[in-house]
Amino acid sequence: MVEEGAVRRRLPVLVVLMIFAAGAARAQTAPPDQTEQIRILLERVQQLEKRVAELETKTSAAAGPAAEAPAPVPAAPKPEMAEAAPSPGPVHQHEPTESQTTTRQLEARYPSLQIRGFGDVNFSTTDQRGAISGFNLGQLDLHLASALSHKVTYFGELTFNAQPTGYTVEVERSIIRYDYNDFFKISFGRYHTPIGYWNTAFHHGAWLQTTISRPDMVRIGGTFIPVHFVGLLAEGNIPSGGAGLSYNAGVGNGRGSIISRPGDAGDNNNNRAWVANLYSRPTKLYGLQMGVSVYRDKITLPVVNPAGNEFREWISAAHIVWTKETPEFLAEFANVNHKNILTNAITNNQAYYVQVGYRLPWLEKTLKPYYRFEHTHTPLSEQLFTNQDLVQSIVGMRYDITNYASFKGEYRNFKRLPTDPRANGAFFQTDFTF
Amino acid sequence: MSPNMNATYKRVLKFLWRILWATVVLHSASTAQTSRGADVAVVVNSDTPVADLSLSEVRKVMLGERQYWNSKLPVVLLIRAPAARERDVVLRVIYQMSEAQFKQYWVAKIFRAEAASPPRIVYSNDMQYELLTALPGSIAFVDSRNIRAGVKVLRVDGHLPGEKDYPLR
Repeated sequence: MVEEGAVRRRLPVLVVLMIFAAGAARAQTAPPDQTEQIRILLERVQQLEKRVAELETKTSAAAGPAAEAPAPVPAAPKPEMAEAAPSPGPVHQHEPTESQTTTRQLEARYPSLQIRGFGDVNFSTTDQRGAISGFNLGQLDLHLASALSHKVTYFGELTFNAQPTGYTVEVERSIIRYDYNDFFKISFGRYHTPIGYWNTAFHHGAWLQTTISRPDMVRIGGTFIPVHFVGLLAEGNIPSGGAGLSYNAGVGNGRGSIISRPGDAGDNNNNRAWVANLYSRPTKLYGLQMGVSVYRDKITLPVVNPAGNEFREWISAAHIVWTKETPEFLAEFANVNHKNILTNAITNNQAYYVQVGYRLPWLEKTLKPYYRFEHTHTPLSEQLFTNQDLVQSIVGMRYDITNYASFKGEYRNFKRLPTDPRANGAFFQTDFTF
Repeated sequence: MSPNMNATYKRVLKFLWRILWATVVLHSASTAQTSRGADVAVVVNSDTPVADLSLSEVRKVMLGERQYWNSKLPVVLLIRAPAARERDVVLRVIYQMSEAQFKQYWVAKIFRAEAASPPRIVYSNDMQYELLTALPGSIAFVDSRNIRAGVKVLRVDGHLPGEKDYPLR
């Protein structure tokens, strides 16, 4: 009983000590304190730098008139000359040489190849009949960017895709761009077609997008819009004051014999496709972007059938997005019009999605819940597309584990054909950049 | 209600009032701490053909949407390393982003083939001034108390650092 009493008396003390210990441990790891310490240290460094500068000035003044001439600032080298090795300086000039070396290290060097990778691992399970749950490896994506001069840049994107029999490698983008100024840049190669927003905003990096997957209308390997484009593209800003207008305009091969592919090895007809995209980022509404796109092509299918194998395609699209994360709002619509050249039969296919997300203020802003609704409609009379009907709702949560990796979890409710039952699924992903 | 209960309620209210008061005092102290310091000046290499920019134009430059001062002179972005006050001001006022969002923004920008490289990181004022004088077209942000000769200080929205409506503070 005596011991029990002692334990009871000590219990509150222990609890208080534990709270203090936890508080102290938290204080040790709390980033704001560290940031403050670093800030104080940086301020101290700046004060010391100032003091050194003052002392150096005094020393120079004491050394006499010959030393009063300011040290010659190294002439700004032309960017193309920046590779020249620094000439070895005498020993007594150690400090200036060191600072010049630092400057040289930060000067542009050509070519300057940068490689960044993206990857993701997924798990999915649905109640769809015949569906198999399990893990799958997403795309391993390598992005290359290399400035060849201050006006010429190369960009490339390669993906490694898991297949039942191994891996396939795909050149997703390969672009060389020449900049004249902000109003005119021209590039050649293989792009993501600038139709709408998503296709050119997130490319193949799952980590960049809020959700696990792209909307169905811009699905990689999908056919609704031509995701890729081979040809040339002009782009730039339009002098428009506060409207913040920009444009993309391109000419290319258009859809190939397999309509999900862009005819990398050559066009399959003598008709070029063209695309134009106009968008605005108003300066007074920082975070807002809205735009319209049009795309025109002639599609030639390899199989000749009595109903005709040539079609005119006309895609019109519009988007409005608010890219800040409190909230995030993305909405896109596209209409794909097909006209059979032989029979003049016309069909219209529509797709749209609306996505909202919100970066929560707690837990160091690592959580972002989101919702997306998407709808795709292909009429029964459509001759080019197989049926792509979809009605889907997605509710999910993104958790940023670090600045460069995240976990995502989603619940999806979807229905494809009118005769299909509604299906439910749970999807999980971890994605990252490296 | 008994007098005892009344006294207890008063004590609880008094306690809550003290907490509220302490919170307000501590919050205002911390706000004062974060907003202390001089204005942050926008400085460019002295050969840069610009003297006055609006805040939205500075934002456009820092977002990499304006990449050339003119067709011959590209913009070279310099930014202080994390934890420097100048960087905090740039992220808060110009980018309106957290550190994580800023990093993600530049990864995405390069991935979209809209820029070849992110802003160059500088670790001290000395380094910043060396680069500002050596690199044509460079733009940086410095504490207005540490402005040195040889660089050009830009007006932002028509104001210089220290003036009443100067936006970068």
